[in-house]
This record gives sequence, structure tokens and C-alpha cells, in this order.
Amino acid sequence: MNKSSAPRQSLGELLPKLVVAPTFVVAVIFIYGFMLMNAWLSFSSSRMLPKYDWAGFIQYEKLFANDRWWVAAENLFIFGVLFIVICLLLGLFMAIFLDQKIRAEGAIRTIYLYPMALSFIVTGTAWKWILNPELGIQRLIREMGFESFTFDWLVNTDMAIYTVVIAGVWQSSGFVMALCLAGLRGVDDNIIKAAKVDGASMPLIYRKIIIPGLRPVFFSAFIILTHIAIKSFDLIIALTGGGPGFATDVPATFMYTFSFTRGQIGLGSAASMMMLMAVIAIIVPYLYSELREKNNEH
Amino acid sequence: MHALKIQNIEKIYGKVKVLKGIDLEIQPGQFLILVGPSGCGKSTLLNMIAGLEPVSNGNIFIGDRDVTHLDPKDRDIAMVFQSYALYPNMTVRQNIEFGLTIRKTEKSEQKKIVEKVSKLLQIEPLLDRKPKQLSGGQRQRVAMGRALARDPSIFLFDEPLSNLDAKLRVEMRGEIKELHQREGTTIVYVTHDQIEAMTLGDVIAVMKDGEIQQFGPPQDIYDNPRNQFIASFMGSPSMNFIPCQAEKVNGVIQISLESGNEKVKVPIKQNIKGLEAYADKSIILGIRPEQITQQGEEKPDSAKLNCDVELIEPTGPDTLVTVRINGVKTVCRIHPTAESKVDKLMPLLLDMSKVVFFDPDTQERVY
Amino acid sequence: MNIKRVLIYSILGFAALIYLLPLVVMVITSLKDLDEIRSGTLLSMPQALNFDSWDKAWGSACTGVSCEGLKGYFWNSVLIVVPAVIISTVIGALNGYVLTKWKFRGSTLFFGMLLIGTMIPFQVVLLPMARMLGFLGLAGTTSGLIMVHIIYGLAFTTLFFRNYYISIPSELVNAARIDGAGFWMIFHRIILPLSIPIIVVSVIWQFTQIWNDFLFGVVYSSGDSQPITVALNNLVNTSTGVKEYNVDMAAAIIAALPTLFVYIVAGKYFVKGLTAGAVKG
Repeated sequence: MNKSSAPRQSLGELLPKLVVAPTFVVAVIFIYGFMLMNAWLSFSSSRMLPKYDWAGFIQYEKLFANDRWWVAAENLFIFGVLFIVICLLLGLFMAIFLDQKIRAEGAIRTIYLYPMALSFIVTGTAWKWILNPELGIQRLIREMGFESFTFDWLVNTDMAIYTVVIAGVWQSSGFVMALCLAGLRGVDDNIIKAAKVDGASMPLIYRKIIIPGLRPVFFSAFIILTHIAIKSFDLIIALTGGGPGFATDVPATFMYTFSFTRGQIGLGSAASMMMLMAVIAIIVPYLYSELREKNNEH
Repeated sequence: MHALKIQNIEKIYGKVKVLKGIDLEIQPGQFLILVGPSGCGKSTLLNMIAGLEPVSNGNIFIGDRDVTHLDPKDRDIAMVFQSYALYPNMTVRQNIEFGLTIRKTEKSEQKKIVEKVSKLLQIEPLLDRKPKQLSGGQRQRVAMGRALARDPSIFLFDEPLSNLDAKLRVEMRGEIKELHQREGTTIVYVTHDQIEAMTLGDVIAVMKDGEIQQFGPPQDIYDNPRNQFIASFMGSPSMNFIPCQAEKVNGVIQISLESGNEKVKVPIKQNIKGLEAYADKSIILGIRPEQITQQGEEKPDSAKLNCDVELIEPTGPDTLVTVRINGVKTVCRIHPTAESKVDKLMPLLLDMSKVVFFDPDTQERVY
Repeated sequence: MNIKRVLIYSILGFAALIYLLPLVVMVITSLKDLDEIRSGTLLSMPQALNFDSWDKAWGSACTGVSCEGLKGYFWNSVLIVVPAVIISTVIGALNGYVLTKWKFRGSTLFFGMLLIGTMIPFQVVLLPMARMLGFLGLAGTTSGLIMVHIIYGLAFTTLFFRNYYISIPSELVNAARIDGAGFWMIFHRIILPLSIPIIVVSVIWQFTQIWNDFLFGVVYSSGDSQPITVALNNLVNTSTGVKEYNVDMAAAIIAALPTLFVYIVAGKYFVKGLTAGAVKG
């Protein structure tokens, strides 16, 4: 007999599958199932309570007709872009400085990173006090001699969103720095030596060799920062409560308010679907282009 | 009764047939080598004998038991891995005892086995150390000790010497051979190093692209390769392959060899019937470096040729000289004291008594 | 020291000051009384170390309806964090073990689909989960929150362990299989002893994430089952009468202490967790 019959799955082969089965079930239900359910809600006419009917696109129409939603979307864009760009730049520069064989590097790194250990609520609370229009930084600078210094951004409808940027950058730039530092240290020493032998100066080496070598790090940092930005909820609730009015509203706070305080579940779920779209729209093409680059390099 | 029998084993990954129908059989106490280039399937075959990878088709017998679908632990085998795979969090003693403990061997029995094995491999002083405190050679021995402690029907070795430096490798090679001679164990040994294959094996299976190209004792494979691949793979420096024109003169096949300075026609006195078909055609001459030496002792059935020396590489025991015959780089092995100088003519003696021939298109041996 | 070094140290030092400032301000403010706060600036030192606001934040400040300080909510968070961290870490370890050492057809796909779970904004599961919790009778309970945190932590813990276990050579597992060890014995005697570093990373990461969480807390808990982040927010935003900035600050520090403490003690592992999460496959 030449052909061996395929053996029935022994317990040994079944066991690993059984072990991951619970997680699989959980993922299917609580991630994908819920996303589908949420999508359905966004196409329903739900208000206070979920109603699983089909109402077409009316929630999305309501959403796009809602001024507050557009304020939220614009805020997310402003906040997101500034937050990501400043974090990346700040993180990169601090990492480069830290890479210069600094004494007490460990201590300094700890100081830059500790904000990440804090809850966004704590961060928001702290910065809310620091940026307090009367008693906060405005008074401090005035007491230092600059009598006419004004810093009331927190209660200023146009500027409030930038306070969120400040607090957010304070919290997350240390993380980018840690990533960049690890990336800098991962650049092959031999390449740098070869460049030095070729006569390149350190700034040039940084510009042409090291920073381009940080691409994968920027990639990871970008993805994580985008993620943090789009999910930003805690920070805004604690710092401004979404205010003044709804000047610092973002899709996350919009969704919460309309789903849980205003009894507009359908609208809220439509907002959350838009958030999901945003994540997909940004991360997927970026992932695609980065991975394609990787393939081309080989 | 065979110690190991492999019947038409196939392994298919998706659409690719990695092993294309392997058949072989060895007797108890034999040392089988599976040798071949990377990707030939030798490690896959070994893993299947061990039971670490499932078989797509075919059967494996250890002794009289069909073990094709049995777990590794039920096959009565032991394995030594390329990276030794010692349990990092256990001492050497615990490493050796691990398998015995699982088998619920008596503590006193375990102690005896550990003593015997560690004495055999000279690792007694290491028993209470952890793997990370050991050198490469020491780890190797512990890995072998772990396998020996199991006293299995078959020992499997997966390129165990690849991670050692050159000198240690030669040393350990000798120790493995000694161990085999003394204990008489059945061994299946995978390597890509043809020197290990030649020196260690009782039988060798040369593999390529998932098939066994040739199976037999080392010297047989060395002297009688079945095709050009096997001929080039076994032996270092590699066999020379010289394309030449054959013609039939006076009922005898002659081949022409030309060195840029002169041309000779050499009659082939070996009884190779297949040569007849190549009269007036081209054929590949396979001649090993040690069969081309400096002129001195005349051997029967040899040819003489003067060649320009292109490269001289002294190795100590002999000197390798590169010349060009029929336009092709040819390596010759000459005595270290024989005179040779680059770009000067060197008189060479070619021993034609053991040369082999290959078809230029199929690369198969011409018999 | 040349000019360049002086410049670098100054910049780094200045940046360090900026990062420390908020913490310093919080501490100073919490030690002042309201008069000092109103008459001074952010950086003016307290006359005396006044811990009254700390007492109030802990035991009597108003967090919405009840005025019992953060004490109860602190313990709520502990009650939520401990089981959630332990369970999600254990399951994540087993998942990572299977995905790297006992791969089966579809295991890569499974991992991929879990990975996606780390990327979605949780807003898209917020409403359905609320419904599910209500359906299970767990709405507004600590157990409900624990369940949520375990479920959405699994993707991360699995990622950590999988990336770590991938570097344990499979020959080790093969040797153990030949020695006769099965699935559980290999995990228990060989993999687990090697897992200490990643267990620490996973525990610290999960602890920080869950302790600091606000979104799930504010949506799925109510009243007595709220975690400290929700209570803190309520405390700060409860506007009954005079704003007590010192109490606010003390409360924020209390809420931050556990994760700050963990960070200072085991910061190295914290960083490893952050960078490990960033190294995707």
C-alpha cells in the first residue's frame, strides 16, 4: 500500500486550535460582529433605543447636515495634523540630541517619557489648570513683567483646539522620541564609518543616511499617532469638555454626546463609522505604499 | 530485519512537491548520511522520520513497526539538532534527565544513566551548569548525551557540526565516528558537507530537488557517480569536467585534449560500451584533480600533456595547480615539491584508468 | 566642554524642564490653600505644606452625586485592573504560544484579524457592547467593565507574546516533543520560564492602559462601579460653588500615582512594551 490515509485529527492536533478558539470567538463577535452591528445601526432609524430597521442613508445625511459634525471633523484635521507633525519633529530632534552620548541619558529619557504613563484625564486636568485664563500661565507671565500678555486660548472659540495640541504633544512626543532613539541606535555602525571615511560630515550623515534609515520607525510612529489622534476623547473631555460650546468637539466626543446624552444612537453610530473610515483611509494606503517600497527594495 | 525503511515518502507544501517519492532501507548499526545542497529536502526527510512533520504520502517503518502516524515520543528515536536545542532554564543534568522523567523512569535508574552517559562524553564536570555557561563543543556533547540517555533504536542528527569552528568540527567528527564504532548504534545524519558524508557514513544518500540521486557506500559514490551533479558535489576540490570530441579510430574510441600548446588524442582503454554512441560527437570527460599529477611515475593507461600554469595554490600536503584543457579551467593535484611556476609550461600526467564520462545534454553518466 | 555640547545640554535641559513643569505645578498647587492660589501664580511656592486638599480629594470631595472623595473609586479601579490584567495576559500568552509553536492552517489569518483589532477606534463597538452588557445583565457593573477590558486587551497581549515567542527557536520545542513532552508540559516547563521579560511588559502595558482608560469607564459604569478616571473627571467638572483647584490637582495626582509608580520602577519594560507594539511583524 503506497498511499497512507490521512489520519483523523488526533487530540494533539486539535488542542492548539481549541486553546485559541475562545479568543477567535471573542474576536469574531466582539470585534467584527459588533462592527457589523454598528454599521447596521448607522443605517437604521435608531434614536434613544436601537431599532434594527433599514432607513437607508438618512443618518449620514443628518450627520453631514450637522454643523457641529463639520466643526468636529475640522477640529480633528487641525489637531491631527499638528499633533502628528509636531510629535514627529520634536521626537526626532530630541532623539538626535539624546543620541550624542549624553551623560544622564537614562534620567532625561525618563523625564521625557513619563507623561505617557498618565491617563489623558490627568493630563487634561493638569493642563486645564495651567492654561487657566486668569490664574494660569497668563498670570505667571504677567507677574514676570509682561503686563499685556494674554493667554486665554482655553476659552477662546478659535484657539481652544490648539490647547489640545499642546497637551497632546506634551503627552505623546516622548514616545516618538523613544522610538526614534531606538531607530537611531539601530542604524548599522559600519555604514556610518564608511561615510566618515568617504569624508561626510555628521550633519550630512544624519541627513542622508540616518534619517532615511528611520523610515520604518516613522511608519510605526505615524500609525500609532494617527490612531491616538482619531481616538482622542479623554483628553478633550478633561481639558475643555468639548468647549467652549462645541469649539473643541471632535468626532469621538460628538459620537459620545449624541449616542449617550442626546439619545441619537443612529447618528452616533454613523459618526463612529466615519471615524472607522478615517482610520482605514489613512492607514491602509500608507501601509500599502510602505510595504510596496519594501518589496521593491528586495 | 531493517532498522529503518522508507517507502515512497512524499511531502507536498501547497502546490510544491518537496519530496518526490523517497525509498530507502538501512540495517541495524548502519550510519546513513543524507547529503545534498540547500533545499534538497534532506532536513524535511529527517523531520518526517522523527515525526516532527507529517507525511503527505508513503510509509515509514522503524524496525517492524509502521510509525508513519505516530508521535515523535512513540517512535523510539532521539535527535541532535544543529543548534543543540538545550533547555536554557535547566542544568545539564536536568536536560539529560528530562526525557527520562517524562517516561517515569526510576530516580535511581536515571542517576545511573546520567553517570554512564556523562562519563562516555566526558561532561561530568558540567552536570550542574546551565547551557549558557558552556562552550559550543560542550553544548554539542550535552546534546548527544541527552540523545544517548534515551537509548533509542535510531539516532537522528541534523547538521550537528555546522555551528562549530573548523578545528572543533574535525575533532567532533572523529568523536562521533568513534562513538558509532563503539556503541554500534543506527544513525541517520543530515549534512551539506560532503567531507563529513565521506568520512562518517556507511551508506550515503545524495539528494537533490527532493529525490535521491544515488544511494551507496561513500567510495562507490565517489568513484562511480551516476550523474554530473553527484560527481561535482562529492569531492573537494571538485571533479573537473572537460568537454571533448570523441572519434573512433581503429575500433577504439579516442578523445582529443588540447592545452593551447599541444593537442593529443587519448585512446580510452576502459571498457565503456556506451562510448561507442559518441563517436564523432562531443562528450564530457570527468577527471578528478588527484588523477592529474606531475609527470614522473608512468602509469598504465595515462596521457601526457604540457599545459600553461594559470594559478598555484599550495595547501601544505599537496599543491593545486590550475591549467586550461580544452578551454576549460582544470585543477590538478601535484606533489608540493614538483616544480611549477605561473605562466610557465608544466608537464602533466593524466591517469585515464578511472575517469568517467557524461552526456553533455542530459549530464547522465555514460556506462 | 565645547560650545556644541553646552548647546545640546541646554536644549535637552530646557526640554526636560518643560516636561516636568506640569507635574511640578500640580504638586505645588495641591499643597496650597485657595487664598494662596488666588493671590499667587502657577509657580509661587506654598507657604506651608498643606495636605488638606489631599485629604479632601481622597475622602470627601464631591464626584457628582456622592461626596466621598476618590477613595472608593480608587479601589474600584484596582478591582477592575487586577483580574483584567491577569486574565488578558494569561490568554495572550497561550495565544502567542499556539501562534508561534503550534501553527495550523489559518493561524496567520487569525493573527492578522486580531491585529486589526488593535487598530480600530473603539467608538465602533461602543454601542453594540452597551447593548450586549445590558443583555447579559452586566450594565453598570465592575464585572462588565472587566469583561470589556479583557476582550479588547487580548489583541495587544497576543501581539506582545507572539512577537516574543517567535524568537524562541522551534528546535527547542521539537527537542521537547521528542523527549516526550506534550502541549502543556512544553508550555509549563520550557516556554514559561523563558517568558518573564514579556510577562512584565504585558502586565505593565495592560495595567497602564486599563487604569488610565476613560472611554469604557464612562460609558459602561455608573455610580459606585466607576473607575477612578471617571471619578476624577466628575470631581474636576462638578461646579458646585467655588472651584477648588488644589483639590483638583491632588485628585489628579492620586489618580496618576499607581501608573507613575509602575513607570518609575519598571520604566525600562514600559518602553519595551511601547516599542514592541510598534514593531509590527
